[in-house]
Amino acid sequence: MTHKLVTLTAIAALFLSGCGQKTPDLDGSISNISDENAISGDTVTIDESAYGNEGSQNEGSQVEGNYNSSTDGFASIYFDFGDYSISSSMDEKMNTNTRIALSASSKIKIEGNCDEFGTDEYNYALGLKRAKAVKDSLISQGVSSANTVIITLGESSPVCTEPNDSCYDRNRRVDIRLLK
Amino acid sequence: MKHLLIIILSVQFFTLSLFGVDATLKIETDVEHRSRIALVDGSSVPNPKVFNILLSDLKISGHFLADTTHHQGDVSSNLISPALKGKEYVLKYSIDQQSGSKFFIRLLKASDSTLVFKKSYAVPSKAKMPFLLHKAISDVNNVLKYPDISWINRYVVYAVYTTSGRSEIRLADYTLTYQKAIMKGGLNLFPKWADAKQRAIYYTSYKEVIPTLYKLNIYNGSKQKITSSQGMLVCSDVSKNGSKILLTMAPEGQTDIFEMNLATGSKTRVTHFKGIDVNGRYIDNESRIAFVSNRLGYPNIFKKSIHSSATSQVVHRGRNNNACDAHGNKIVYTSRESNNAFGKNTFNLYLTTSSSSTTRPITTTGTNQFPHFSKDGSVVLYLKQNGRRTSIGYINLTSSQSLLFPFNGKKVQSIDW
Repeated sequence: MTHKLVTLTAIAALFLSGCGQKTPDLDGSISNISDENAISGDTVTIDESAYGNEGSQNEGSQVEGNYNSSTDGFASIYFDFGDYSISSSMDEKMNTNTRIALSASSKIKIEGNCDEFGTDEYNYALGLKRAKAVKDSLISQGVSSANTVIITLGESSPVCTEPNDSCYDRNRRVDIRLLK
Repeated sequence: MKHLLIIILSVQFFTLSLFGVDATLKIETDVEHRSRIALVDGSSVPNPKVFNILLSDLKISGHFLADTTHHQGDVSSNLISPALKGKEYVLKYSIDQQSGSKFFIRLLKASDSTLVFKKSYAVPSKAKMPFLLHKAISDVNNVLKYPDISWINRYVVYAVYTTSGRSEIRLADYTLTYQKAIMKGGLNLFPKWADAKQRAIYYTSYKEVIPTLYKLNIYNGSKQKITSSQGMLVCSDVSKNGSKILLTMAPEGQTDIFEMNLATGSKTRVTHFKGIDVNGRYIDNESRIAFVSNRLGYPNIFKKSIHSSATSQVVHRGRNNNACDAHGNKIVYTSRESNNAFGKNTFNLYLTTSSSSTTRPITTTGTNQFPHFSKDGSVVLYLKQNGRRTSIGYINLTSSQSLLFPFNGKKVQSIDW
């Protein structure tokens, strides 16, 4: 259910238009050249604080140096800078993901993420390519495409915000979780 | 007498604290067409902030050579200081913010104190004061019959990341003096003005399982679901009459550009590529689009007719041109000109045309991204990163005047003007 707080403090007829009623100038006289503007139209503020990306709330666990920000037994897959191919070092994690996906009782959500060095739409597209690479790998191992949902979160959901290489490495990832 | 000045700016920043120029731009301009004007502050308490906003308005218009001294004097008097007699115009003003904001201007001819124009402005909100000032300068500009600069009255809408997985969508005046959050919390991205009058925005919400595009009326809060897509969904551009939008969508996991007819809800797939196609912008009377694609193995700017398959490369320089905006046949794009995997990279903005006939840099230093044309195409907004400091910049393409305003917010995700 949507929780929103809409604050409307004023609705007036015109914003910065020139058809307001003539009113006294600051010095008390009436402008003989122009009018005084009525300025209006306060804008809303909508509060969606009840919502947030579920992955973002998972700062990731670390077991013997292996970071993981996926949930439900899945393992996060990490990528090289600017790359969206799954490296052989991720094979074991993909085997784990395939095994869990094949026995999953609900749909699987695959989320592509990027480091902070991209811009705007292109970075989000790069995150999607990573999610698609993981999805394709799962499908090649027998997981039904219909049981997967992919999205890109671009650079919006870092698990690490320190300005260093190991931190950037952790953010170039695909997280997997069950849709609940 | 005609004064033709050729000014080569090599100084990095203009000394006023509020703004500075983008460095090393070669400016060739005929100053005969600009009016020499001085500002005289008649407020009971002189206000440097107001003065600086007025000065920036005059400067970025490209139509005025403004005296940068904060003069003070009686707003209601026609008396003009002998020191200002050499100007063409004197703009006397006063600001009163005891209750809301009230602003009064009187434009005088400097030579004989003739009253050219006077007007008073008022708004119930103190925070909206900058809009009064912008409107006043816009009116002065019109009175003196210069080309319209009403773009200074427009809102800038932008999204910033607040924490991981959360964002805010904010409104600001072009100087960022006024700022207000219109969507807090959640993950709401890629705000785009839905109409010329700036009454509504499109934005992508991540509240649902898959990205969903909404249209939000910013005055009454009403929301309308437009469409949703697995993978990625962004409203990249809106047609002039607001009836069609360009979407980046990935229904099958590959980003392509679609045109959506808002009346019928039908979508036409404009690009068909297995790599990355994003950032569609209408060009050439909306018969074609410019867009970013990695079809050559790296991000670059291409164009394509909406209804035929031929695609051609627009930009033939650079190996990483990853964002663009367009107005008519003009295209401004971002080019990464260094190759540091991590850390600082040089990004510059270039101006070209859909026919690739001419290309010129409009920035030369630093990290310059998120370019957006003003509604009339005469000015480019962009974000400039200088170390940890982010500024919002404006370049008047006709006069080559530029301004920077400090951007003390969080990391910007997307911006529209």
